[in-house]
Amino acid sequence: MSEAHEILEVSGLSVDYAVPQGPGADIRAVDDVSFTVDRGEFLGIVGESGCGKSTLLFAVAQLLAPPAHLASGTVKFKGTNLVGLTDKQLSAIRWRDLSVVMQSAMNALNPVKSIGAQFQDALQAHGKPSRKEIAARSAEVLRMVGIDPVHLKSYPHQLSGGMRQRSMIAMAMLFTPDLIIMDEPTSALDVVAQRALMVQIKELQQAYGFAVIFVTHDMSLTSHFSDRLMVMYAGQIDELGATRTIFDRPLHPYTQGLLEAFPSIHGPRVPLKGIPGNPPDLAAIPSGCRFHPRCPHAVQRCTVTAPDLYPVDGDLVRCLRRQDGSLPDADQEGSLSR
Amino acid sequence: MTSTELLRAEHLTRHFKIGGLLSRRTLHAVDDVSFSIGEREIVALAGESGSGKSTIARVLARVYKPTSGQVYFEGKPLSAIRSRRDGLRYASLVPMVFQDPFASMNPVFRVQHGVLRILKLHRPELSAKQRLGEAARVFGVVGLGADMLQRFPYELSGGQRQRVGFAQALAMRPKLILADEPVSMLDVSIRIGLLNLMAKLRDEEGVSILYITHDIAGARYVADRLIVMYAGQIAESGPIEDVLSAPKHPYTQLLLSAVPDPMAPLAQVTDRGEPPRVVDPAPGCRFRWRCPLAVEQCSSVTPVLAEVRPNHEVACHVAQTGAEVRAFAS
Repeated sequence: MSEAHEILEVSGLSVDYAVPQGPGADIRAVDDVSFTVDRGEFLGIVGESGCGKSTLLFAVAQLLAPPAHLASGTVKFKGTNLVGLTDKQLSAIRWRDLSVVMQSAMNALNPVKSIGAQFQDALQAHGKPSRKEIAARSAEVLRMVGIDPVHLKSYPHQLSGGMRQRSMIAMAMLFTPDLIIMDEPTSALDVVAQRALMVQIKELQQAYGFAVIFVTHDMSLTSHFSDRLMVMYAGQIDELGATRTIFDRPLHPYTQGLLEAFPSIHGPRVPLKGIPGNPPDLAAIPSGCRFHPRCPHAVQRCTVTAPDLYPVDGDLVRCLRRQDGSLPDADQEGSLSR
Repeated sequence: MTSTELLRAEHLTRHFKIGGLLSRRTLHAVDDVSFSIGEREIVALAGESGSGKSTIARVLARVYKPTSGQVYFEGKPLSAIRSRRDGLRYASLVPMVFQDPFASMNPVFRVQHGVLRILKLHRPELSAKQRLGEAARVFGVVGLGADMLQRFPYELSGGQRQRVGFAQALAMRPKLILADEPVSMLDVSIRIGLLNLMAKLRDEEGVSILYITHDIAGARYVADRLIVMYAGQIAESGPIEDVLSAPKHPYTQLLLSAVPDPMAPLAQVTDRGEPPRVVDPAPGCRFRWRCPLAVEQCSSVTPVLAEVRPNHEVACHVAQTGAEVRAFAS
């Protein structure tokens, strides 16, 4: 692919959290993460709590605050490296070219300002629109997400959870940016509202052509919406590939485990095991492959050799046994659930 | 049901006054709800946020008094509980497990503190040594080593804390555990383990569980019966496989169609998921504004639960005529 298709190029990104014991003991929450996002692409990022997915988003958006700090890596957005830009330079990009939708809209919106006033703030940060222009654009984006523009006068507490999340997305679209980063925007909603919001995000994306990075802990949620999927474990990418392929043929034992941890509402009721053990403590990362203490397929060398991210059948996967072909397939004997 | 009845709620209603001093507005959190829970049975109570699920749990736990209606436990009404002794006895037979394992444990005490206190309060006949032994036993049942008793809550993962919650409930030798969204804050890979634990408590310890959840797939995995709530009322209830394989209420169908399933094609749903208003509701079906099948009767007469198949009850005028209900495809 030529560079013109890539809107975001993250390479070698690592984020450390400072601890009182001094810089030598820093906890690495994101470890050498590299990926690209194409124009108009929908990238899903999944993983358990503490896997570094939110920290990664914050690093990409240059929103890290102490004790977190960037240890290494670059974030190229439309050809410009965002790392090292001043706040002023970043302000010119934020909202206009790149927006972030946070997990909890109730906390991200200002509770003492009406929705319209908050839209106005964002619009006035990039130029001097007239009052008429502000009103017109604000009403337009609210309509895009299916909210009646009368709610520009409403305060966040007067809206339902789904409407709040949708108004956050409307705000992110004020300038029709090239990239919208979303951190679990649906996790506070119940299934019906969640589904409605996902469909809406996808429709808007298709209509306006922006790229989306969508972070979630619920893998099944992205199955019908993302183009590519990135599975994170203990601060690293474990698997990266086309969404459909990963669901049909997960390569990493962790991805297989995640998929098999979901009970289904269809088909026979089968006993599931989930993934044994707990997500690792980033202050005490296991040796070798970080997943080996929980992996049903781990062999001796998994405990000593840290695997790279290997290309396998067009996907990337961090597994020694998958790389040399000694790992049994998901639907054969040895799989987690059967 | 074939099993013996443990708890029965009859016409349970709980209203809350809202607004300022002079406000006459009333929030109908739970309206005229009747159901029963048998012995050795996991009953899933499902519905969207604000549908009254947690209010029911709190009424059953005697945190709230019902506005009207009655709850019978082992045949005796809860309103007859007057003395502290009876209250304690009921609390030990029907303990609660909470949603947030990070907020429901005291961070400055070791994990054993909670369990030992429960044992001291509810089983005073045990000696200090027996209490420690019993604490180790219940920890073993929920899959935690006895060494966990000496840990502090911050040393435990979310899944382990939630197991402690079940261990504490178990220490009281309960008949019925009220579990309010016990797995919704846990990671996906951990949830199954907790659901398996709930099934084990039913099968091996003979405990019934009221499992409050909005996760239908998880409910199907572990529960025997399903009660679907909508806007403070029961929309549908029955054996879980019957309800899920042939849902009769349009809301149940909507709920099922929205469950993300990577292996099924995407269902076309246009509903936005706006929650219903239950402040001073007028008579009529509360789902009618979202229901594509609503008929005239729905806006004037509140539907009541009626059996459409053995043990399978639905509160829907259309379904009760025997017509096939296909409001939302799943």
